[in-house]
Amino acid sequence: MLQLLKIDLKKLTSYRTFWIICGLYFITLLMTTASGMEFLKWLARTVEGFGQSININRIPLYHFPDVWQNLAWSSGLLKIMIAIMVVISITNEYAYRTIRQNIIDGLSRKEFLLSKVYTNLLLSLLSMVLVFLVALVTGLIYSSHLNIDYMFDGVEFYPAYFLEVFAFLSFALMLGILVQRSGLSIILLLNSYLIELIIKENIDDYVPWLIKFFPLESIMNLVPMPFARYAFQQIQDSVSLQAVAIALVWTFLFNYFSYWRLKKADL
Amino acid sequence: MNTVLAIQDLSKHFGKIRAVNNLNLTVEAGQVFGMLGPNGSGKTTTLGMLMGVTNPTAGKFLWFGEEPTPNVRRKIGAVLEHPIFYPYLSGQKNLELNAMIKECPAENIPRVLDLVELTERKDDKYKTYSLGMKQRLAIASALLNDPTVLILDEPTNGLDPMGIAEIREIIKKIAAHGKTIILASHLLDEVQKVCTHFAILKKGNMVYSGPVDDVGKGLETVEVNADVENLNEILLTFPGTSSVNLENGVYQVTMREGYHGKALNSFLFESGIVASHLVTKKKSLEKQFLEILSDAR
Ligand SMILES: Nc1ncnc2c1ncn2[C@@H]1O[C@H](COP(=O)(O)OP(=O)(O)OP(=O)(O)O)[C@@H](O)[C@H]1O
Ligand SMILES: [Mg+2]
Repeated sequence: MLQLLKIDLKKLTSYRTFWIICGLYFITLLMTTASGMEFLKWLARTVEGFGQSININRIPLYHFPDVWQNLAWSSGLLKIMIAIMVVISITNEYAYRTIRQNIIDGLSRKEFLLSKVYTNLLLSLLSMVLVFLVALVTGLIYSSHLNIDYMFDGVEFYPAYFLEVFAFLSFALMLGILVQRSGLSIILLLNSYLIELIIKENIDDYVPWLIKFFPLESIMNLVPMPFARYAFQQIQDSVSLQAVAIALVWTFLFNYFSYWRLKKADL
Repeated sequence: MNTVLAIQDLSKHFGKIRAVNNLNLTVEAGQVFGMLGPNGSGKTTTLGMLMGVTNPTAGKFLWFGEEPTPNVRRKIGAVLEHPIFYPYLSGQKNLELNAMIKECPAENIPRVLDLVELTERKDDKYKTYSLGMKQRLAIASALLNDPTVLILDEPTNGLDPMGIAEIREIIKKIAAHGKTIILASHLLDEVQKVCTHFAILKKGNMVYSGPVDDVGKGLETVEVNADVENLNEILLTFPGTSSVNLENGVYQVTMREGYHGKALNSFLFESGIVASHLVTKKKSLEKQFLEILSDAR
């Protein structure tokens, strides 16, 4: 396993685009955190009655335990950036035909895929750890008093966030393997939410229970949007096991489909 | 002898195109096996199947008597068609990566770089290499794991004459170490120089296979010229003549079985003609190749 991961990292670590995208990703991650208050002001401006009924400066956006879910959710928006990196990494293998040479040189198709999947796991893990650290530090800075009893309520969103990123990267990898061209894959990746949205909207009236089984929907449901709580609405503040189960099944299907496609193809 | 490769009824169809059709072939240890055939005759497709990148439509093949596995491929060095590397990595880094894939020590790298004379440029990015340098890097990569079998598909494509001669020397050197080499090439001269055996493909069918030494056996051709006007008719009266052609100002006499240039010479002499030019020609592989292809339907 380690050997396969090393092989893929060897390809990536000398690739400038990889560092640029990863750099942008992590910088944006930090910026999102820093710009949270601006976001609140925006909410106050756009959501009716939001700014009047409460003082936005007293919203515990960065306080324990709210900070966990808040940051996990907003970081989830950025996973598209590493997903694009994953698409580039796999479609490059087709463009350069190095996937063919890798097999000729002795990798099996399964090993080739695994080397990409392991990289996805590593990227997901790094994202999770980074967001966790950012949340921890932010929470320590902003919280007026620390109470160990509830300070870590909501940390469970971090494994869920890990799954969210990994599931989405698996989806991106599958798209890359199916489409093989970087431009088209990235456009499809960006539009996949829209496509899913259109389908969901059209079936909403007939089979509403089906919505939560949609792939991207299930990934989004892992860490639900928390901000409605500041408008005194009920939110889901724990990880739903059903959402985890659905997302796990999709993750498996994405990777299995990649494997099946790769196995069948002439390279 | 040990059979390195046994191909049994191997076929590959792309839709209607029968790229490879019921191919049967064995390659023994130590052979330098040439695969010949016009463009699109299925050479690369065959080698692609042998290296696991093209899925056969039917049939099978055994490497060293075993079903093919990724581990078998690690013991084979192969360059199919074009050199393929990561353009943004240096030659050195590309080889390091391939060493990881082939599970062989990175210490082998300087040796193979030296062999193909790329040591000086090893830290430059692959995309800055000339075509010949890319070819050399591909050969270096194929030799990285000290393979027992080497597969080369047009290895001298794009090389300068010196490069071609060097690659030929490398191939001979490797063959001298008892390694088995499978070589697809359009350079028939090359094949005649380095190969021990060869097969000819045409539209996916194997139309000939045999040792290179057999080329030139069979019917002899004698080139003749003399300052006589009706030389053509005189040559036709010789009982050993099968046919006469005028090519580039000299007569090409194809002999009947059992007749040789010497007999023709004494016949002319007895007819009172002194030949100004008389050469017995051994048939070249090229000639044989063209003959076989035009015979095969
Ligand atoms: N991926 C593919 N899809 C469809 N047809 C293909 C594919 N690959 C090869 N072919 C067809 O299979 C036949 C054999 O091609 P192949 O590349 O094996 O020929 P070749 O003997 O290597 O030719 P060359 O001497 O030009 O390299 C050709 O007719 C080619 O068009
Ligand atoms: Mg070819």
